[in-house]
Amino acid sequence: MLSIAIRKRFGDFTLDAEWTSRQPIVALVGPSGSGKTLTLQCIAGLVSPDTGRIVCADRELFDGQQRINVRPQQRRIGYVFQGYALFPHMTVRQNIDYGRRGRVRPAFPVLERLGLGSLESRYPSELSGGEQQRVALARALATDPDLLLLDEPLSALDAPLRRQLCTELSQTLREWGKMAVLVTHDLSEAYQIADVVVLCEGGRTTEAVPKNDLLWNPSSERVARLIGARNILRGTIAETKSESVIVEWRGVRLEAAQSPSHDLHARTGDELAFFVRPEYVRLIRKNRTVSENLRQTNLFRGDIVGERDEGTTWVLFFRLATPGEPFQVNYDLEIEIPKLVYERLGVATDRQWDVSIHPGSIQILPSH
Amino acid sequence: MDWFPVALSLRVALLATVATVIVGVPLAWLLARRRFPGRDLISATLLTPLVLPPTVLGYYLLMTIGRRGPIGRLLEARGIELAFTWRAAVLAAAVGSFALLIKTAQAGFESIDKRLEQAAQTLGHSDWSIFWTVSVPLAWRSILAGTVLAFCKALGDFGITLMVAGDIPGRTQTLPLAIYDHVQSNQLAQANTLALISVGFVVVLMLALGRVARLRY
Repeated sequence: MLSIAIRKRFGDFTLDAEWTSRQPIVALVGPSGSGKTLTLQCIAGLVSPDTGRIVCADRELFDGQQRINVRPQQRRIGYVFQGYALFPHMTVRQNIDYGRRGRVRPAFPVLERLGLGSLESRYPSELSGGEQQRVALARALATDPDLLLLDEPLSALDAPLRRQLCTELSQTLREWGKMAVLVTHDLSEAYQIADVVVLCEGGRTTEAVPKNDLLWNPSSERVARLIGARNILRGTIAETKSESVIVEWRGVRLEAAQSPSHDLHARTGDELAFFVRPEYVRLIRKNRTVSENLRQTNLFRGDIVGERDEGTTWVLFFRLATPGEPFQVNYDLEIEIPKLVYERLGVATDRQWDVSIHPGSIQILPSH
Repeated sequence: MDWFPVALSLRVALLATVATVIVGVPLAWLLARRRFPGRDLISATLLTPLVLPPTVLGYYLLMTIGRRGPIGRLLEARGIELAFTWRAAVLAAAVGSFALLIKTAQAGFESIDKRLEQAAQTLGHSDWSIFWTVSVPLAWRSILAGTVLAFCKALGDFGITLMVAGDIPGRTQTLPLAIYDHVQSNQLAQANTLALISVGFVVVLMLALGRVARLRY
């Protein structure tokens, strides 16, 4: 278990981090300047918080009230720094052995496991980015720490390598089997590697949330914005049923499935926020009969007023045919479709469409 | 031709440089890496030898180590004479040159990526161990450059040495003082030889420094 509740002021910036994880791998996700690295430095003991408490696997590492502040050397924490911070004047072997002095050889054979045997006598400047990353990981694991901290371990790599090393890193961490905290600005990276996610923004953090809940069941509008959800909309509740809720939005009645975990403490007439994933909005083929169309739920008509080619997908900006009060600037809904579908349906020339949204892909955001 | 001033100058500069390195390198590291009370004051005081007139420095030094000065009295009680001996010349050379070493070495330490030292901390190494295994090996070019600069400066000190060690031929007359005396007594050939020797030392050292600086760690 890892439990953090700390405060640290740095000029205008205040870090106020509070979260607890019982899961082995935690990801801290947020934009740069949100206090992720500072949190890691506090956990490692490189920076002392002003107040608070840090407990790792029942060991008290920091307690402002009891004046406990374990030195970084004694914290048994491995740290993979952003940019890796390998000692440039030491070979791979010397880098890895540097932390092992006077300690028992750990159960996890890092050199062999990470395939670094053939690189032993090279210097860091002679290694590729991926190799440097593995050496940094090996060096941190070689001291047999209780907790591993990783600061943007993949951001220095280019995209194809990043994908490969993301999988590799995830496997290594699972095999190693102890606790790890990963800092990243990339939610999909966090999703692939971690069990739980903590979102950081302007020095504040959310609780540690299981990654599936975060993506598929965000707990608030703020969280939805932080994970980059598009089509965050507002409507009023028209009707509440046992399984679903009817929301009135811009003159359209939308049926949304009730969230399984968050109880909707709202009544008819209340305003509420929800979001629709752009890739879950369906364009309806023109050649279907009316009766087929009647079976579609949340069906409405509108125009495509703008589009963006993203390579393998197209993003369409959709405007309702009979909009109520406008509250998105130029369009009402973002729709994302595969390029193939875009070409098959002839969206380039045909601009008026019926669209449908499955009730399960409309996500109600609890307002708290 | 009297070679004593050359030998004395070399010995004085060498000893002054060794003393400067022993005290100066750790101090440079402290100034580069630690925040402590009095840090700014020390940093400012260190620069004064570079800008104050040497005679002013020499005057204060003499007031400290002379017979009536606080340190001079202490030493005299133990039967040690400092002022107007070759040891005073060492002290003078060190005072005149240590700022060069400290400032150069400090810049070297400051240019090391802090994360390297932090990494060493998380890997269980003490500050003392990190200083020797990470900081010094990575800053060694700056330390060496500072050392050579300090040595050259020590070799050429005139004003401070004259004030605290005097100009006693065969005892405290260093190379720069000897050149001055030769010129005063119109022995230009001797002055010329000694001046060439000085230039030779400095040029050779600077060339060697440039070579070494191109090496890796």
